[in-house]
Amino acid sequence: MTIDLTQFHDAFFEESFEALDSMEAALLKLDIGAPEPELINTIFRVAHSIKGGSATFGFSDIASFTHSCETLLDELRSGGMQVSLEISDLLLKTVDVMRAMLRSTQSKQPLDMQKVSDIQFDVEMMIAQKNAAAKAALAPVKSAVAAPATNAQPSATAATAQTPAGGAAHTLASATPAAAAATSAPASPAPSAIPAAPAGGSFADRSVAGRSVAAPRWEISFRPYRELFARGNDPLRMMRELAELGELTVNVDTSALPSFAELDSQSCYLAWKLELAGDVAEDAIQQVFDWAEGDCDLRIGRIAAAPSLLAAAGSAAPAAADFSAESAKVVTEAPAPAPAVEVVAAAEEPKHEPAAAATAPATAAAAHTLTAVKDTKPDAISAVGDSGSIRVSVEKIDELMNTVGELVITQAMLSQLGAALEGANAEKLRAGLAQLERNTRELQESVMRVRMLPISFVFSRFPRMVRDIAQRLGKHIDLKLTGEQTELDKTVLEKIGDPLVHLVRNSIDHGIEMPDVRIAAGKDAVGTVHLDACHRGGNIAVEVSDDGGGLDKERILAKAKQRGLVGQNDVLTDDQIHDLIFLPGFSTADKTTDLSGRGVGMDVVRRNVKELGGKVELRSERGKGSRFIITLPLTLAIVDGQSVAVGSETYIIPLISIVESMRLKETSISRLSGHNEVFSFRGDYLPIIRLHELFGVEPRARALHEGLVVIAEGDGRRVGLFVDDLLGQQQVVIKSLEANYGHVEGVSGATILGDGSVALILDVTGIIHAASMRVAA
Amino acid sequence: MNKRKQGAATRTTRRGHAAKTPDAATEHNSGSGAFAVAAECTVADASALKSGLAKLLEDSGVVTLDISAVQRIDTAGLQVIATFIRERESHGRQVEWRGTAPALAAAAKLLGLSSLLKLPSAA
Repeated sequence: MTIDLTQFHDAFFEESFEALDSMEAALLKLDIGAPEPELINTIFRVAHSIKGGSATFGFSDIASFTHSCETLLDELRSGGMQVSLEISDLLLKTVDVMRAMLRSTQSKQPLDMQKVSDIQFDVEMMIAQKNAAAKAALAPVKSAVAAPATNAQPSATAATAQTPAGGAAHTLASATPAAAAATSAPASPAPSAIPAAPAGGSFADRSVAGRSVAAPRWEISFRPYRELFARGNDPLRMMRELAELGELTVNVDTSALPSFAELDSQSCYLAWKLELAGDVAEDAIQQVFDWAEGDCDLRIGRIAAAPSLLAAAGSAAPAAADFSAESAKVVTEAPAPAPAVEVVAAAEEPKHEPAAAATAPATAAAAHTLTAVKDTKPDAISAVGDSGSIRVSVEKIDELMNTVGELVITQAMLSQLGAALEGANAEKLRAGLAQLERNTRELQESVMRVRMLPISFVFSRFPRMVRDIAQRLGKHIDLKLTGEQTELDKTVLEKIGDPLVHLVRNSIDHGIEMPDVRIAAGKDAVGTVHLDACHRGGNIAVEVSDDGGGLDKERILAKAKQRGLVGQNDVLTDDQIHDLIFLPGFSTADKTTDLSGRGVGMDVVRRNVKELGGKVELRSERGKGSRFIITLPLTLAIVDGQSVAVGSETYIIPLISIVESMRLKETSISRLSGHNEVFSFRGDYLPIIRLHELFGVEPRARALHEGLVVIAEGDGRRVGLFVDDLLGQQQVVIKSLEANYGHVEGVSGATILGDGSVALILDVTGIIHAASMRVAA
Repeated sequence: MNKRKQGAATRTTRRGHAAKTPDAATEHNSGSGAFAVAAECTVADASALKSGLAKLLEDSGVVTLDISAVQRIDTAGLQVIATFIRERESHGRQVEWRGTAPALAAAAKLLGLSSLLKLPSAA
């Protein structure tokens, strides 16, 4: 039986991308000079878990790169380095690189490794510079010969992708095992130096000098379930990470090991009791076991340190300091404790016996304060990121949604049947049906809520984007985000991202003026771009506004006339002028930049929003700024519709596209040449589209004043749809016509009505299009 | 030795490893009573490792495990070897090591299995 780790790849990528998002968010929040430790921890944890995960799955390039990042972050975390603008910029670049690496690994596409190694070099250079400075201060105390040499040429060493510290440590490492070799088994004297070196490396303590002597001790009970290996976890990796955090004592429990014949090589039978000494946060320990969550029993408890330990540690610490700040560690075995206890001592060879001996009594004397931590979760850092949830595939939810949709239809059918019944039990049945209806609605809403995600998932990409673009253009921009918790359907959420990016870019590029222009206009030099989301009725309104220059109507009009989009003598309303910018290829920009001005964008925005069944409005005031308001349905699964009758058929018109409905007077109708009819509506003449003609249905009324017109809006145009009657407003479950039949112009989907009949949901834009084609033909 | 050292070492190992052992999962008996442990002893190779060792479980002589080829080992691989050794020893049958494997020694240390395995270079 071979375990296919690829089955965990998707989860790893998904989690990693989310983690990178929260890392980016945290980086942007980081204050230069006085960073919040918790933010740095968040950033560190992300790099750390991506490193661990990618190492597990064998993505060694990613692991190597994240390792460099982690080292830099560790310096920031321990206060060895200060957060500067340079570092935060560099770290933001590493986020991009990690994302690109993960993406290319996921899609199995080649990646520009040059960029990766450039950034990695920059990161290592940054660490090297810090170490060079630190070493210069430490040099007099140092006994290692290699250190001064590396100090002399930090850049040369860094150029070989080896940090000076690495070089120094290496020299030390090869020196120390020589002593250890003398005590090791005579069978293999020569190569024994090799095993000691990496082993020592794995246990390396990062900063002995900076670590508190009276550090806390943690007792960790780690009992994996059998299937731990099968979930892609390796306790060895966890031990290695723990050993990096502090001084680790490992005590293995082999009691569950079966006989060799019964052993399933893919099951984990081992369990561990670990002790970790050092200035380690509980979070950091938790983090190590993150990937195994749910696959093991994990208890982490703090042990109050006994005095004997403090004394031993006290004597060990100076020894380490004497040797060097980079104190090489030797792995030592406790002389006589329980058979399977091994100690990883932080002391040098000559000191290891007292230190190790002290560990045993200290443990015995220690007061145990065990707390169950299995259920505690690492704190959520920002709105995005870990939210204590389970991952469910979208297909499963869609399936559930579909089933609930069917249930709603069945329930509607029953209600209709029940209403017509008579008899002793009819009343009881109706009461039951009413209850069923209530429950069905609630169920439907709950399932819909499952698909809902806060819009912060989309908003979170903007701080970075605004920062980058503003920097490039030399503008000062403040991004304001509100309503991030507003929830909307995942599908809508995924598709709203690109239009919003266009709008925000436009606002920064065209809207907000250069600082000097702003000051001259009496405005604050810092422009504001505001992203807001809120629920409005059954819809969600997402607004992108800026306090920039607003639209230049004269220029838009002049451009439109120049291009022949508008007649030379036409007089347009403000709304009509605003509509011009949504036309494909329309741009008033003097020069095309890589950001915007090519005239693609606004038409894409409108098209994308329309595809989602929403609309875009624009309000702009010269000199004050612009507001783009996108109105979207909350979900694509259900639509609020007006059902109308045409002959024997029922059609649903989405409420969002209806302006109003009215009965026409004969006097308001005019006939144009041929077959075309228009009617006057508030000073405008709107074309009439007879639905019965469009769909080839026999109507009940042919005379316009006998039926009704529904004034509907689509694509910025209004038309009157002629129908026989209005039936009622209701929420309908959308069934895709494309999936079950094929695309029909003017129809966006279908639904099943309470009586079991099928009603088509009209797509007003499509109808306008279809009707104008007919006229043209 | 610090953490950076380890990172550098890992990278070197990776490159060297890729060049050296393209055919990592194979293992073979090198004569009666001797067993060469394959380069890769991870969870994916553990069942092959187990079936390889199973043939030697009842061997009445001294079994020699040649670990000099081992490049990568994880908990699952080490668990198989540990179970094998424990079972042999409980029947008073000896196991000897041949060669050294830094990866194996480090893994055994971290998992607390060194004393059970009685590795020679358990420094």
